[in-house]
Amino acid sequence: MGKEILCACEDVTVDDVRRAFETGYRDLESVKRYTGLGTGPCQGKSCIAAVARTLLKLGATPAEVAPFTARPPVEPVPLGELAALDAATLGLDEGVPAEPPPEGAGVAPVAAHPDAPLPARADIVIVGGGIMGLSLAYELGRRGVRDVLVLERGYLNAGASGRNGGGVRAQWSTPTMIRLARRSLELCDRFAVDMGINVWTRRGGYLFLAPTPEQVTRIEANATLHRREGLRTRVISPAEALEVVPELDGSRFLAASWNPDDAVVFPWPFLWGYATRAQAGGASVRTFTRVTGFETSGTRIAAVQTDRGRVACQLVVNACGAWSKEVAALAGVALPNRPTRHEILVTEPLRPWLGPLVSVLGNGLYFSQSQRGEIVGGMGDPVEPEGVVQGSTLRFLARFARAAVTTLPRLAGVKVIRQWAGCYDVTPDNNPVLGPAGFENFHQLSGFVGHGFMMAPAVAELYADWLAGRGKDEIFGRFGVDRFQRGPVAKEDFIIG
Amino acid sequence: MPRLPAFPSDCTVTVDGVPLPARAGEPLAAALIAAGRPLLSRSAKYHRPRGAFCLVGACGTCLVRAGGLPNQRACRLPCAPDLVIETQNAVPSVRHDLLGLLDAVYAHGMDHHHLMTWNALANRAAVAVARQLAGLGQLPGADAGPVPPGPPAQAEPWEALVVGAGPAGLAAAEALAEQGRRVLLADSEPVAGGRLRARLGLTGEPGLDWAAGVAARVRAAGGEVALGTAVLGFWIDAGAPLAALRGEGRGLRLVRPGRIVLCPGGHPTPLAAVDGDRPGVHAARGLLAALAEHGVLPGRRIAVAGEGAEAQAAAARFAAAGVAVEAAPAVARVHGRARVRAVEVPGRGRVLCDAVAVALPPAPAVTLARLLGAAVEPGEDGTPAVRVDAEGRTSVPGLLAAGEVTGAVDPAAAAERGRRAGEAARG
Repeated sequence: MGKEILCACEDVTVDDVRRAFETGYRDLESVKRYTGLGTGPCQGKSCIAAVARTLLKLGATPAEVAPFTARPPVEPVPLGELAALDAATLGLDEGVPAEPPPEGAGVAPVAAHPDAPLPARADIVIVGGGIMGLSLAYELGRRGVRDVLVLERGYLNAGASGRNGGGVRAQWSTPTMIRLARRSLELCDRFAVDMGINVWTRRGGYLFLAPTPEQVTRIEANATLHRREGLRTRVISPAEALEVVPELDGSRFLAASWNPDDAVVFPWPFLWGYATRAQAGGASVRTFTRVTGFETSGTRIAAVQTDRGRVACQLVVNACGAWSKEVAALAGVALPNRPTRHEILVTEPLRPWLGPLVSVLGNGLYFSQSQRGEIVGGMGDPVEPEGVVQGSTLRFLARFARAAVTTLPRLAGVKVIRQWAGCYDVTPDNNPVLGPAGFENFHQLSGFVGHGFMMAPAVAELYADWLAGRGKDEIFGRFGVDRFQRGPVAKEDFIIG
Repeated sequence: MPRLPAFPSDCTVTVDGVPLPARAGEPLAAALIAAGRPLLSRSAKYHRPRGAFCLVGACGTCLVRAGGLPNQRACRLPCAPDLVIETQNAVPSVRHDLLGLLDAVYAHGMDHHHLMTWNALANRAAVAVARQLAGLGQLPGADAGPVPPGPPAQAEPWEALVVGAGPAGLAAAEALAEQGRRVLLADSEPVAGGRLRARLGLTGEPGLDWAAGVAARVRAAGGEVALGTAVLGFWIDAGAPLAALRGEGRGLRLVRPGRIVLCPGGHPTPLAAVDGDRPGVHAARGLLAALAEHGVLPGRRIAVAGEGAEAQAAAARFAAAGVAVEAAPAVARVHGRARVRAVEVPGRGRVLCDAVAVALPPAPAVTLARLLGAAVEPGEDGTPAVRVDAEGRTSVPGLLAAGEVTGAVDPAAAAERGRRAGEAARG
């Protein structure tokens, strides 16, 4: 016996690549994610050519082995050195866009995916193969609604579902959000067994640090609500927080909100699991298929046009995350959503040392330790403008590093190995947009403001109930798009990042 | 005979508490090879024995803990009398790692996606155990080395930034300096020359004296040759490329170059063979540089994997140093665990050796070019390379490239193309 290793950092073998390819993950972006190759300390330097050769031998097309998106930094760099940069001198430029690929710009072209042709019709067409769309397709199948087609313009995990930090928390500021999040946490716990694929749910808790008296007031009010809702949230002193994370600088915050039941997960397998089980339940999932328009007839959408053909349908669900606004616009429907870039990074993998996800209220910093040992963290930027932009900035590295090292000084020696960005799908009140808009059969499932991933498992159940005629949850009345015309809206204020 | 006699050890470093003879300034990885101890680490998932492979900071197989900091590359750690390192990711030691059992238990590989998903209890256990096995080094110690001073508030303006001080980059920098341009020439290695350091003596190959001359001319024209300085990446900032450069222990520098010539060469190609990741399998160029600069002999009998002029030249260099050489145009399997014992060569069978030098064409280092949006093209075998015209222009205005980053090219031709790219960058 022996192993032929292709990616030495992550111990990925030729057999692993073959298995991924045969499972249907043929393009290099998907193979990277499914096997983990190229995500280690060397950043894919030594493996990418060998993997491309292997895939070609297996029958991949040249387009499918185009190298995966390049992500800085090219060499590991300690957070402490990045923290010394002056972020104020660094701009917020868009960077080289990762999506959509500009013509001839060398970003991986959309591969010609050898999926089956599109069906001529489907009862329900879900636009967007992120966690929202895929979980909805799965839940519809479980309720007997099987003629469902999910259209994804890239590979699975190309959008925010594959770009987020994997946090799942019940610490919200309204009973509705707490209810949804608790249900999602239950489903995350069961996901691996229910869906047959590991998602590495770990209930390490969430620790929100409150650096100002105003923030302390806020977490105290939330904790009161949480206890009423049956959560174990406690407001704890810096000394108690240091028992949870001894490496924190206890002088940097006045109190903390601690809930030991919150969790982190590994996002990617959620999509693979939902996609696999949705298809087993009768749905079809088509990747590398872009929606280009809608055919309408009176108050209804009659068909979805794509770059691979037309699909007649009874109902359309727009679940495109940050792209929901532009997809709705294809039907002439205006959504209030404001997609906004959110940057994130990952460090070298370390032995387990950090239990919870740590977040600092006020500046939006958050970080946790992934199942593989990396520190995964992000931080919003108040001057980030609206726009679907997924390029990376040095400014983010500098801002994140300074905030992280201030919060936990020993991070200074931890090295960043990769940065990327995704988009928050922001709405005026930080709450989602659900239900029909513009047309009676044009449903919206968007506007989750950076927490769509954690809400999806629960929301999909409720949405599937509604579409399958099993009752309409109150969220669909509460979060309809018409609420913005009805006057002031109460804002969810516990958004991080 | 771990070293050529002309290169005596002159200091002692400490590895896991054991003294190891070394030459001050040489990379730790070279000292370990010279000491006949290629085993250096254990891999992330299966705890496979590993040693330094690429020797130029391009792979992740030689990570050690040094100065309280985890995951430092042994090929980038200069030996000094006070260098104390600890190996990582092994229980109790890299030589006898109990977790190496994982490699045997999962002899056919471990499908972590579907591991223990049969019931909640088993899955919870899998998550807990996997977390305990995850990660490489430990969190930096509270007493880890001081963070270098902060960079200047303003990015340095340079007329041109040339990345890579191999034949192409040197020639590009020279062409720019001849016109009086202020050039910053950066290379992540501590010595200029790139593959010239291997002293392969290929037809028309420039010598290292030429490299030294170029460095002098670049400096005389107001430029700088920044060795041991890696370009971390390019970001678009205020509409123009911004580069961050890093010298180990010296902090970051920000550079806004007017022109960029990318000559980072290629990354050593791993040996595509069963157990081709064993300690004692090294990139040939790195071994030859260590031989030339520090007299390091990788073993008594070395298999040179690969075909063509470079593999033959590499074999000749090892033979001239007194190492028995086995030609291995292809390798199907590597035998040995803590170090190489033999290789399987198709058509020849088992060939005894105690080291393998991999002399395969490198994979073009396209990442920096791609960060600026430059088009790449797959070669016949799928290996991507930066697409350039005859003057070295990429698809991005103001961004040029030359040398092995654009595909296979011998050192003489790389220098010629580098020169042309440098001339094109002047205009």
